[in-house]
Amino acid sequence: MLEFFGRFHPVFVHLPIGILLLACICIVLSLKASFANLKPAISIMLLLGALSAIVSCITGYLLANGGDYDVNLVSNHQWMGISVAALSLVFWIIYNKIKAKGILGAVAVILTVLISITGHMGGSLTHGSDYLTAPLKESGLKGAAAIPAIPNVQEAFVYQNAIQPLFRNRCYSCHGSEKQKGKLRLDEEVYILKGGANGAALVKGKAEESELVKRILLPLNDEDHMAPKEKPQLTANEIALLKWWIKNGADFKKKFKNLPQTQEIKPVLAVLQNGEAANEEIKNTDIPEEEVSPVDEKVLKKFTDAGVTIIPVSQNTNYLSANFINVKSMGKEVLDLIKSADKQLLWLKLENKYVTDQTLAAIKDCKNLTRLNLNNTQVTDAGLVALKDLDQLQSLSLVGTKITARGINQLKKLQNLKYLYIYQTGINKADLAGIKKVLPKVTVDTGNYKIPILAQDTTVVKAP
Amino acid sequence: MTRDELNAHRLIKEAHEANAQLHSRRHFLKESAMGLGALAMGSLLGGCGNLFSSPQTKIAYDPAHPLLPKSPPLVGKAKSVIYLHMAGAPSQLELFDFKPELMKMDGQDCPPSLLAGKKFAFITGVPKMLGPQAVFAKHGQSGALVSDNLPHFSTMVDDVTFLKAVKTDQFNHAPAQLLVHTGSPRLGRPSMGSWVTYGLGSENQNLPGYVVLTSGGSFPDAGKSVWGSGFLPSVYQGVQCRSEGDPVLFIKDPDGMNRDLRKASIEAINKANEQQYQEYNDPEILSRIAQYEMAYRMQISAPEVMNINDEPAYIHEMYGTQPGKACFANNVLLARKLVEKGVRYIQLFDWGWDAHGDSSNNSLNIGLKNKCRSIDRPITALLMDLKQRGLLEETLVVWGGEFGRTPMMENRNGIQNPFKGRDHHTEAFTIWMAGGGVKKGFTHGETDEIGYSAISGKVDAFDVQATILNQLGFDHEQFTYPFQGRPFRLTDVAGKVIREVVA
Repeated sequence: MLEFFGRFHPVFVHLPIGILLLACICIVLSLKASFANLKPAISIMLLLGALSAIVSCITGYLLANGGDYDVNLVSNHQWMGISVAALSLVFWIIYNKIKAKGILGAVAVILTVLISITGHMGGSLTHGSDYLTAPLKESGLKGAAAIPAIPNVQEAFVYQNAIQPLFRNRCYSCHGSEKQKGKLRLDEEVYILKGGANGAALVKGKAEESELVKRILLPLNDEDHMAPKEKPQLTANEIALLKWWIKNGADFKKKFKNLPQTQEIKPVLAVLQNGEAANEEIKNTDIPEEEVSPVDEKVLKKFTDAGVTIIPVSQNTNYLSANFINVKSMGKEVLDLIKSADKQLLWLKLENKYVTDQTLAAIKDCKNLTRLNLNNTQVTDAGLVALKDLDQLQSLSLVGTKITARGINQLKKLQNLKYLYIYQTGINKADLAGIKKVLPKVTVDTGNYKIPILAQDTTVVKAP
Repeated sequence: MTRDELNAHRLIKEAHEANAQLHSRRHFLKESAMGLGALAMGSLLGGCGNLFSSPQTKIAYDPAHPLLPKSPPLVGKAKSVIYLHMAGAPSQLELFDFKPELMKMDGQDCPPSLLAGKKFAFITGVPKMLGPQAVFAKHGQSGALVSDNLPHFSTMVDDVTFLKAVKTDQFNHAPAQLLVHTGSPRLGRPSMGSWVTYGLGSENQNLPGYVVLTSGGSFPDAGKSVWGSGFLPSVYQGVQCRSEGDPVLFIKDPDGMNRDLRKASIEAINKANEQQYQEYNDPEILSRIAQYEMAYRMQISAPEVMNINDEPAYIHEMYGTQPGKACFANNVLLARKLVEKGVRYIQLFDWGWDAHGDSSNNSLNIGLKNKCRSIDRPITALLMDLKQRGLLEETLVVWGGEFGRTPMMENRNGIQNPFKGRDHHTEAFTIWMAGGGVKKGFTHGETDEIGYSAISGKVDAFDVQATILNQLGFDHEQFTYPFQGRPFRLTDVAGKVIREVVA
């Protein structure tokens, strides 16, 4: 019950702050003759201010008893608050007796300073001590990683280099030295193992049964979800890391290399290692990092008039995807158009069009191209030379063309190539090893899949 | 008073009345927008920070060219979706979710803990447990479990992501189907394909962006609303095509009508529509004009695309097509052709998967096996064929039903059904996805030892929808359409992208 009244403290404190500040302002003003008519009101302001300050002190005391706050900070705040209440009460009693303007002004200033300090301390208790200054410090680092990059992840300590920074940036503000919501502290090994008001936070070896993980995995709208809805959330990678740590015994001393590394955790560790923030989604390799200037509207219009479906690959970029599906003729003017957008073209689909080796020559400067589809076109080995410098190419489709292994061997510079589709071409199985040598990272799909005919393909099951 | 005066008097009176009508609550709110706005501002700034910090995704909707291709807000991995829906709800326990424990309980009474407080469509009293009615084996490098009902598909598991713990809250076919495809168990919401074509338009201006193909037999219980456009402009509804006869009814010009005459008549109709548009300013009229023009172009393009006869014989053999008939295999082959032609969203519905055990066609040992035989080759061929053409990278294939089936044998009205069958089950079922930037050879989610409920990796229809939109380049929370005074989204207020399955 008492704690209930204590919870009114954050509401009540605003009364003495407002009333007493107003009183102080009026006192200073009333020193001037033109504002002398404020004087009768000041006494009552001081009284009301003093009374509300006393109420605030009482509720504050009740709140501090029931809360989980930093003892030192609470004690300072408490004595400052009491002094505000006392000073204002004394001030009210003697206000009418003081005649010297200097003293009046001085007391008003002292009271203002006291109120400001007390208020700031209260704010620090509620929102964390760096609440006020955080926007100044973080302005350049918004959304910074909760876990800083670890250059040599295998040699690093799991707790010290990853889990602790994660707790520091995501949990300490409510579960640290200054505040212990639910009696839980996550800033020291002993406290982490001790748990909080609802028992142990961790069950060593059992991530799913650990209260800590359970709460993080609750739906965002659940009252018990951690971190609270309005605070920055843990990312999938961070959660994976935390679960992995607990699952493997929640050890505070071990290095990464000492814990078993499953298939699931490997990519997470790779992200930690590569300096990308663990809380960033997997880096977007779909668009080049450097933005290009947009293609001229008139050029786009010409593309569209020629029947090309051409749009930016996403709303926030100038890189383009072009699909020639509705193009009727691949004349010279179309080739010139391609050249005029050579920096911007990212995806190009020329499937089923009359595309010859001359056409390919037109795309030799499309340096940013990542996907190229030349299925069922007339291109030959000789024309493929035009692609030899398109080193951003990730996916190349040559299905249904006359290409042979000789043509592919010219493409050794395409080290980013991931997929090569050569179904129904002149390349046979024997050539694959050679291609693999030239382009080691590529997945070659020769297609020509067959589905055997089984007895059950042609029969039906009948009722007995 | 003269008649003119009377008329003038009446006019003035009418004007006053009209004016008075304007001074309504609505008018008050409008006129005092500034003052009320300022009042509201305080609470908005505090309470709805998002409103200001993250603007809604902008979709440029041009009613005269509703299907122009549009960029997604983010770079999408997938450009098209093929959604294979097995209406009636296939049994996960006979296909993908192998439960040896359930085999041990076969024939025993269902423990009361599984029945207390639960509702089933048909089960009453205490049913018997029913062990798996198929033989399972591990397949591929990923070791995914698939039953002998799908021998061909089991060779493709290393290209597939299984969601084994999908949940729903609807145990009747129609609402459950609506939930899967429109995000609401009730009628009236736009289907996923409508949202996608609204957001992305179509790459091919001669074909609709959203095509629906049904396998003949019966329609899905939810009816055509399951591919309806809801409150989105009607041009985004699914266009149902047929794999038998003319792809679209009356697509051929009738005898005596040549192409020029057809063109002239469509131009005349469009002119009349334009006049009407000038008068009423209803953007739906512009959509109608665009539809007439599209229909005219489709008369040439559709028969060509929809004709699977010009595909080579070995492709027909691969898919197991039955030329000239309306069947799932033909539709699957068509779906691949449509993806090649730049169609965004292809929705297939198969039927007859409702294995209750009330008849031999609806039984796990006869009907279900035959249904599996009818889809096994086509779905396997689809994945292989998309793969060898380099299309699987950018095409998301989704397979699933509207709910799962119970580990108990159905006892309709308390009496054992004549054949082995299972009732509708909402707590756990399996959906799989392939291509379009989802993981290969991966399984997400797990059910308990008898497959009754999900124990980890639980997802629901909204999560699946959020994931599909994510693969296409949309943040499902930002992708909205204003209707009835608030922004609506496919996933309404729920859904979370299943990050675990995104490659």
